[in-house]
Amino acid sequence: MECSFAITGKDYVLVASDTNAARSIIKMKSDEDKTKILSPHLVMTYSGEPGDTVQFAEYVERNIRLQHIRNIHELRPSSSAAWIRRSLADSLRSRHPYSVNLLLGGYDAATDTPKLYWIDYLGTLAEVPFAAHGYGSYFALSLLDRYHNPEASLEEGVATLKRCISEVQKRLVVNLETFKVRVVDKDGVREIEL
Amino acid sequence: MARRYDSRTTIFSPEGRLYQIEYAMEAISHAGTVLGVLAKDGVVLAAEKKITGKLLDLSIVKEGGYGGSGEKIFLVNNNVICGVAGITADANSLVNYARSAAQRHLFSYNEDIPVEQLTQILCDLKQGYTQYGGLRPFGVSLLYAGYDPHYKFQLYHSDPSGNYSGWKATCIGANNGTAQSLLKQEYKDEITVEEAVALVIKVMSKTMDSTTLGSEKLEFATLTLDAATQAPKAKIYRPAEVDALLEKHGIAKKDDESEMKP
Amino acid sequence: MSIMSYNGGSIVAMVGKDCVAIASDLRLGNQALTIATNFEKVFPVTDRLYVGLPGLATDVVTLRERFRFRVNMYTIKEEREIEPETFAHLVSSTLYERRFGPYFVEPVIAGLEKGTNKPFIATTDLIGCLTLPKDFAVAGTASDKLFGVAEGLWEPDLEPEDLFETISQTLMNAVDRDAFSGWGAIVHLITPDQVITRTLKARMD
Repeated sequence: MECSFAITGKDYVLVASDTNAARSIIKMKSDEDKTKILSPHLVMTYSGEPGDTVQFAEYVERNIRLQHIRNIHELRPSSSAAWIRRSLADSLRSRHPYSVNLLLGGYDAATDTPKLYWIDYLGTLAEVPFAAHGYGSYFALSLLDRYHNPEASLEEGVATLKRCISEVQKRLVVNLETFKVRVVDKDGVREIEL
Repeated sequence: MARRYDSRTTIFSPEGRLYQIEYAMEAISHAGTVLGVLAKDGVVLAAEKKITGKLLDLSIVKEGGYGGSGEKIFLVNNNVICGVAGITADANSLVNYARSAAQRHLFSYNEDIPVEQLTQILCDLKQGYTQYGGLRPFGVSLLYAGYDPHYKFQLYHSDPSGNYSGWKATCIGANNGTAQSLLKQEYKDEITVEEAVALVIKVMSKTMDSTTLGSEKLEFATLTLDAATQAPKAKIYRPAEVDALLEKHGIAKKDDESEMKP
Repeated sequence: MSIMSYNGGSIVAMVGKDCVAIASDLRLGNQALTIATNFEKVFPVTDRLYVGLPGLATDVVTLRERFRFRVNMYTIKEEREIEPETFAHLVSSTLYERRFGPYFVEPVIAGLEKGTNKPFIATTDLIGCLTLPKDFAVAGTASDKLFGVAEGLWEPDLEPEDLFETISQTLMNAVDRDAFSGWGAIVHLITPDQVITRTLKARMD
């Protein structure tokens, strides 16, 4: 019952994730941050099997950080996506696969373009203008087909993201009260209060 | 007394020197000259060939392959070429290692390997042979000419100890002192590939032992960006192209002097 | 639900007169939900050789990267480009390596042989069993429909432009009857002196 969205706009990517941590039918926590800042211009939302999610997210975080320290420059979003995808694809055919779904938003400083990648636990990778994971994707994707504008300003992008969230809050049987929203652009990653 | 400290690579002499490394570098300073010049829109490499003779079979060089004769200049990856000076057999093994490393990077990260990272990977290997016992170091210095989106065009040099450094213009092998001082005089920032080619040929003609230049003594390569795709494009000149280039710059040898004539 | 049709997608390749064509749809789905409509499944191997990889999307990307690795190492060591038939066997052996835990992909290969410009097409199953048809090769979730349409439209010795029309109509009409394929298409037409790549306007539903 987790839910995450991401949309690209003019020179930025917005990512959002719900903040619930549930066990079975019980909500254990309602302010869990299920996003991770991987490098100055790279942010990721993660969802899936509890335990796997945090373990894998931290594994990715540390490796991307190591790359950054070793090579001085950041790993580019496309290369990060390829590496993360390969980690999941290798994991899929191991004895204990990670069951984690990701949305990876980044800003490529070399080409000055925002990048968004949809990655699932199988290691499927797709570069997309907008993306969603979880039951929310059934509402959000069709909504974004209609309202997404790749040239939208940040205000317009946030407005579109709010439409997705309110749609989920209106129609999905579970109540996803709050969302953590982050934006990445040429100045880096920062949080946005809705 | 020195004998006690230079038989093994891993032992320091009392003055704190590693003799085997110094001998390796000495070997390189007798090898064919390799010259590299970094321009704002490309990199140029040139190398002096030592293995010549009219019985040498160069038929492959004229037609297939990448253009190099396989002695001095190699294509490592889409975005990197390298020139080698020293023991050719060691160089071949290092080039092979570099090619695999570049492909492993492409496989893991879906991008061409950044030039400095490739240099580092080779230097890690070279350094290992200065520390672990029982083996001799690689008797090779390399010039790496490459392009990546982070630092655009780059030129690196690495030596047998595993040290490396970035250069605007540099030279390894025989007469490298002469060549370097010539380069220092003549190099200017904002140089174009065209000018760099002329500079390389000029310096090469002054430092090489032979009085005349020809394709049987010279290898030549450039790395530029493809005008249409903006992707890096390596060009290792074929013998005929080298001769044409030398002709253009007015220092080609006359035909009757050629020892390569069939 | 078969794992082969989890993400959807279809490929077709056809032989013409001194030319070949290979085409794919652009959909990436999660069962019935469409995730992306820009997912290319046909990749260049050399200037005149392409490989199409329909099947499980994670394996599509992994195999594409593994083929690229092996072909690049082949090219740099041999100092020449790989031939279609050689590449077909490379594909076959790469897949058979995973005989008891296969990649869920059924590759289609299309290219021109060096010198003779003889068209070459091939398909393999997911464990690398090669088939070398003379006319056309199909694979993916719409393969059954593709067989039918291709059987009706293909004829021998098609000129490049006619081959382009034939393969485009075959693909579009087949994927329109398949819920897991579609959302646009891309066609590569390989002729002795150039490769023409066109994206098709198709039904976007």
